[in-house]
This record gives sequence, C-alpha cells and structure tokens, in this order.
Amino acid sequence: MSLTGDIIRGLIEPEVAAAIDSVPNHVNRLGFDPWGLSPEEAKVYYSIAYRIYRYFRPEIHGIENIPDGRVLIVPNHGGQIPYDGLVTAVACLLKATPPRLVRAMADFWVPTLPWVNVAYSRCGVVVGDPINCRNLLEEDNAILVFPEGTRGSGKVWKHRYQLAPFGRGFMRLALQTGSPVVPVAVIGSEEAIVSVYNWESLAKLMKTPYVPVSPWLPFLGLLAYLPAPVKFHIYFGEPMMFDGPFDDEDSVIDAKVQVVRDRVQQMINDGLAARKSLFF
Amino acid sequence: MGTILVTGIAGGLAQLVAQRLMDAGHQVVGVDYRAVGHPLPGGMTVYQANYNKTIIEDVFKHHHFDSVLHLGRVGNLKESAGKRFDLNVVGTQKIMNLCVSSGVKRLVVLSTFHIYGAHPANHIPVIEDEPLRAGLEFPQIADAIQLDNMASTWVYRHPQVCTTVLRPTNVIGPSISNAMSTFLRRANVPHLLGFNPMTQFIHEEDLSSALLTVVERSIPGVFNLTSETVLPWRTALRLARARTYPIPGFMADAYLRVRGGFPQYLINFFRYPCIISDEAFRTAFGWTSRVGIEETIWTTVAEAREQQRLAREKARAR
Repeated sequence: MSLTGDIIRGLIEPEVAAAIDSVPNHVNRLGFDPWGLSPEEAKVYYSIAYRIYRYFRPEIHGIENIPDGRVLIVPNHGGQIPYDGLVTAVACLLKATPPRLVRAMADFWVPTLPWVNVAYSRCGVVVGDPINCRNLLEEDNAILVFPEGTRGSGKVWKHRYQLAPFGRGFMRLALQTGSPVVPVAVIGSEEAIVSVYNWESLAKLMKTPYVPVSPWLPFLGLLAYLPAPVKFHIYFGEPMMFDGPFDDEDSVIDAKVQVVRDRVQQMINDGLAARKSLFF
Repeated sequence: MGTILVTGIAGGLAQLVAQRLMDAGHQVVGVDYRAVGHPLPGGMTVYQANYNKTIIEDVFKHHHFDSVLHLGRVGNLKESAGKRFDLNVVGTQKIMNLCVSSGVKRLVVLSTFHIYGAHPANHIPVIEDEPLRAGLEFPQIADAIQLDNMASTWVYRHPQVCTTVLRPTNVIGPSISNAMSTFLRRANVPHLLGFNPMTQFIHEEDLSSALLTVVERSIPGVFNLTSETVLPWRTALRLARARTYPIPGFMADAYLRVRGGFPQYLINFFRYPCIISDEAFRTAFGWTSRVGIEETIWTTVAEAREQQRLAREKARAR
C-alpha cells in the first residue's frame, strides 16, 4: 500500500469508524450511494472533523431527543464557516444512540467549490433541493438543514444569535413525509469567526454568497479567519410534529415555520443566559 | 417479422443493434450520411444518404418499414454546429415525417442524457420530466435538445406511430467510438482538479437489448436509460486502468481546445453530477441491465490497453 494511503488510514479514529460501520446505508457494490456518500471515505473526513469538534470542546444537551427514523434537524446558522454544521454532525454520529450519519443540505454554490464538493459529498452532504431531501427522508435519514441558509452563515457580529428569516422548504418536506422537526440551538458558533461587514461587491465578483470582513484583518491577515477557541453548547430540543397539507398557501406554512423559528430563538436565548463564559 | 430501418449504420452501436435484430429474424436496412468503411455482415442493404435531403425519401419508397430506429444522432465532436443542426434537427424531422406518411408502426429515437446538463443545482436522480439545463451555459448543444423535443412532441402528435425516445447515459463499449469511449481509451485521462463527480455508464450490449425490447414491446414515451451502478469519475478511471492527471478548472477549456478529444461544452460533466433514474423504463418494459460496471468499462478499453502495452514493449526493445 502507498505511503499516502497509510497516512490517510492513520487519521481514522476507531470511535468514528465503529460509529459509521454501525449506520445502515444504501451504498452500491463499489461503496457509493447515488449522491456520492462513501462510508469508507467518510471515516477519514469525520475523523478530521472530530479533531475540529474537540477544539471547540462542545457540551451536548438533549441528544436523546433525536428520534429513530426520518427526522429534520434544524439549528441556527452563523459564523461564516459552517462549524455549527460540522459539530452538530459529529455529535449526531458519536453522541446519539444509535449513531446517526446526518445528511446535511448545502447551498447550490457548494458543488462549485473544488475539493470541498468532494469531501462534502463523500460525507453525505447533498445540494439542498426538495427532491434530494424528500428522497433521503423516505429512506428514513436524519436531515440536517439550516433554514436560514447563507443569510444565516454570513451574519455579521452585531446580528449574532438573531435568527435570519427561515425558508419554507423544510416545513413542506416535514409535512409531506411526516417527519418530526428537532429544533437545535448551537451556542458559540456565531462567535468563532468575527465578521463586521459583508463585502457584497467582492462576493458578487467571486460568485460566493458573502465575503466576511474581520476586524482583525489588518493585524492578523488571513489568520483572522481561523476560528477562536470558543466553547460550543448544543441544545437538541424535543421533536415537533406538524399536521396539514404540505402544498398549502405560503401564509399557512409560514405560521408553522414561525413556530419552529420561535422555538430555536427561545433555545438560543436560554442557552446564552445559561452560559458563564465564552471560552469555558 | 417486418423490415427495420436503422440510421447511423456507419457507427458501432447501429451495427451491433442491426446484427441483434437480424439474429432475432428481422430484415434490416441501414442508412448513414457517412460512407460505411467495411462490408456489413448478413447481407444488409445499406444506403448513404443525408437525412435532410430527398435521397432519404427514396429509401422509404424502396422499402416498406415496420419500424425505424433512429440511432444516427450526429456525435458532438465530428461535425460543425451547422451540419449537426441540418442532420440532427432538419434530418430527424424529415425521417419522422416519412414515418408518418409511409405508415411506419414504430419509431425509436436515440437521444442523450447530455441535454439535462451537468449543473450544480441538479438533484439526484434526474427523471424524464426535468428541465433541460444543458443549454443554459452551452448553447452548442441546442441541436440535441431540439431533436429530443421534436421527438417527444411526436409521441403525442402522431399516436399512429408508436414513438419511443430514449435518453441513455454515457454509452460505452468495445464497438463504440463516441467521445466518452475514446476518452476512456487514452493511456492518460485527465480529471478536473478538486472535482470527482458521480457518473453512470451503459454498456452497448445493454443499450442494444433495451432497443430490441422497445421494438418488441412498443410502448410510447420518453425514457431515461442507465445501468444500476453510480460511481465517481476517478473510480471509473481506475476501473479503466487509465493513468490520470489533474487539470485546473480554469485551464480545462483551453486544454480541450488544444488537445481535443472531448467537446468543450460537455466539460461540466467532469465537474457536477448528472445522475439519471431509468425506473420508468424498467417498470414499463420489464427490462434490466446485465453488464456489470467493471465489465462495462474494461471491455471498452481492453483492446486499447493491449495496444498501448505492445507499443511500450516495442519502445523498450528499441
């Protein structure tokens, strides 16, 4: 075997490998599902993610609220780089019983990013499209979806922990597939990387959803975009079930979306109030 | 058993399908706008005729066709956009009109999955009702989209001709010399730096068996066609035992312009997935693919690999 192969396999943590092996999946003979998930390659990426996870020293609360079978996991989104998604996904794999390999919904621009698109799809991330999501829910997957989308992840400092408007897609899918919604508050992620300004014209030029400008940029250069060692707290709320037609008018769906959004905001506020320090 | 017209008979797929049809007891007439280089087996009548000229009308006058298999969509590399439009759009329209006027019972049009386009917003899988996104970035594919649209409209406008449109994924196999098969046969096949999209293939034998099933069963409609296995592009290259090297995305267009070998406007198929579902076809026709992915890819490249090995040995001996 090659040296790089040995180094890569050396990265795999036994805990991660055991968890991924225990998760049922629908891969073909070559070890891939149609979206590109590869449990074997995911072991490497999740092991790297687990190291990042430990950097943030997350405290996980209420993980037992994730039910068996299909479920939509709905956290707040912030912090420029989606460490909130990473930490939530690792928590679902390593702290939930049984382990869940979440399928995260990503923005349409993710497939255009070199390397990132490969790593994401091997870990089970898919483009956040209703048909992808419905197909995966019907296979009883846990879906990680950020209804704030890039409006959330691109939040500047003064808007931290204030939820941006939610999209409706996740609610329509919850209604259509009879899936419970687990509201999640991620505390810490929105302070890991500080952005005071979204440079929209540069974002347009670079075809990215946003370009964060860090206040530390003049002093630290690109190091300003490394996450600060803030401590994460993740609160998984009790599952919420919704009834009604999935193709109802937007206003009816909006009312249901608002219930989830209010719940997530309440959990964030409670989590912030319970926090004693940013770093401990 | 009636007579069947097969277009594109100078190509490997049409010849294979013609052979299978003759084996099944059909009489086959072949036509192509290109000259057929070598004699075809089984005493098949072959015409050279542009699909958009009156000479194709004579072919329909000389024979009474039961079925027409229009496999002769002109590949992406070989001809200019103008000629492709004449043959693929005007020519296909002419062939379809001739089918109606001469009482052909069955028409099969071989389209392609390229018309869906490889787009970052593609969900998985893509079914037959989806928008055709290929033209968004690459208008060069307009002829293929129009051919498909025309044939799909035919399904409903002329119900007396049972029209079936097939949209297969990458067709490869030992007899095929389309862009994808030729690309895989190279000793060094490039990939795009930082990309490794999921890909599908269908073997020529599977496509032939699907076409024969369509001729037997006569169910109108538009259908995707693929084999079961979905795999990343670089895994496919590993199965093809090809060496591979990365090309940065911004240089890919220039590379294909200089090096050739693959249409520039299909470059996104090496960047984003376009994974199709053929559940509709399998359900309607009771068809299944038989050739496994390893065999599909290896049979395509085996002969080329042997030649490359001999060439290397020769070079070493010198």
